[in-house]
Amino acid sequence: MKTKRRVDGVASNKISILFLISGILALVFSIYSISQILALIGLGLTFWGALFLLLKPLKLVEGSLLYNSAISAYLTTDRIIDEFKYKGKGHYISPYPEDVYLPEYLKGLKASVVFISKKNDNEMPSIDEIAKGKFLSKNKEGVLVTPPGSGILTQIEEKLKVDFTKMSLNELCEVLPIFIMQNLNLAKEVELKLNGDQVQLKMFDPLYKNLYSLRNNLKSVSVLGCPIASAVACTLAKTSGRTVTIQKHQASPAGSMIDVWYRIAQG
Amino acid sequence: MLMSFPLSFSDISFWLAATALILLITSELLYSMPEISGRFIIDKTRFRLVAIGCGLGFLVTVAIRLFQPF
Repeated sequence: MKTKRRVDGVASNKISILFLISGILALVFSIYSISQILALIGLGLTFWGALFLLLKPLKLVEGSLLYNSAISAYLTTDRIIDEFKYKGKGHYISPYPEDVYLPEYLKGLKASVVFISKKNDNEMPSIDEIAKGKFLSKNKEGVLVTPPGSGILTQIEEKLKVDFTKMSLNELCEVLPIFIMQNLNLAKEVELKLNGDQVQLKMFDPLYKNLYSLRNNLKSVSVLGCPIASAVACTLAKTSGRTVTIQKHQASPAGSMIDVWYRIAQG
Repeated sequence: MLMSFPLSFSDISFWLAATALILLITSELLYSMPEISGRFIIDKTRFRLVAIGCGLGFLVTVAIRLFQPF
């Protein structure tokens, strides 16, 4: 029985090797026959062969796979929300900058966390609870979870090579949408508008649009936002140095346009 | 019989210019039209680096010819 094999990039590799070999042969023969045309052809073939090898196709996965792998985390969060009967919002707590020295027992403060509160007016968890990486806060007033967009945030930071703590909110509103659209291809169009302590995120045809569909009716999506909205919230919290709350979201019936409103806590 | 490479320095300079032009224009188009470039599964950053490298290579050949015209 034949086993299935991955064929990603095999064709392009074969083409590039073919180009390289024929290019080198053409170059060698051009020296023997002193032919300029043959030398130019050889140079071109060798160059494009090397270029094709260098620009190997990226490993791609279907967009639906991203959505399907994300949904389990949201279903788990929904179970937590239902179990503890939480009615509050998701508060993205600002992490400490990476370059700030913190003693070992406070290292947990550098991680992005989101606090799902029991009620809207609940007090925030103590620094001690965040630093210790606790899940349940005091008197079960809320839970501290890792934001679903923390992975995207790490990817953005690695690729952009920027420290968001040293960026202004206005700069962020310009840089982040372009990066999400052009480099990560997570949505067709993204807009981020800053209006005082309110920030509006507008996404057109995002990859995670199905999370907002009424069929799933996920409470956790309105609390935490989809991974893109969550990554934006993490970034806003990091840049502003304040807690960011997802106020509300609005999705078009087909899910092609999603609006998310954030509020940056004052003081 | 003495064998030599049939392309002169100016030929290589011209070839670099033509290649750099093609690559730079393609790279710019890939960046300016994300809805189309999304369909091409190539490393755009690396592509741009190669294009800039070719352009710089051409400029180096021009500089060499300016300072050593013979």
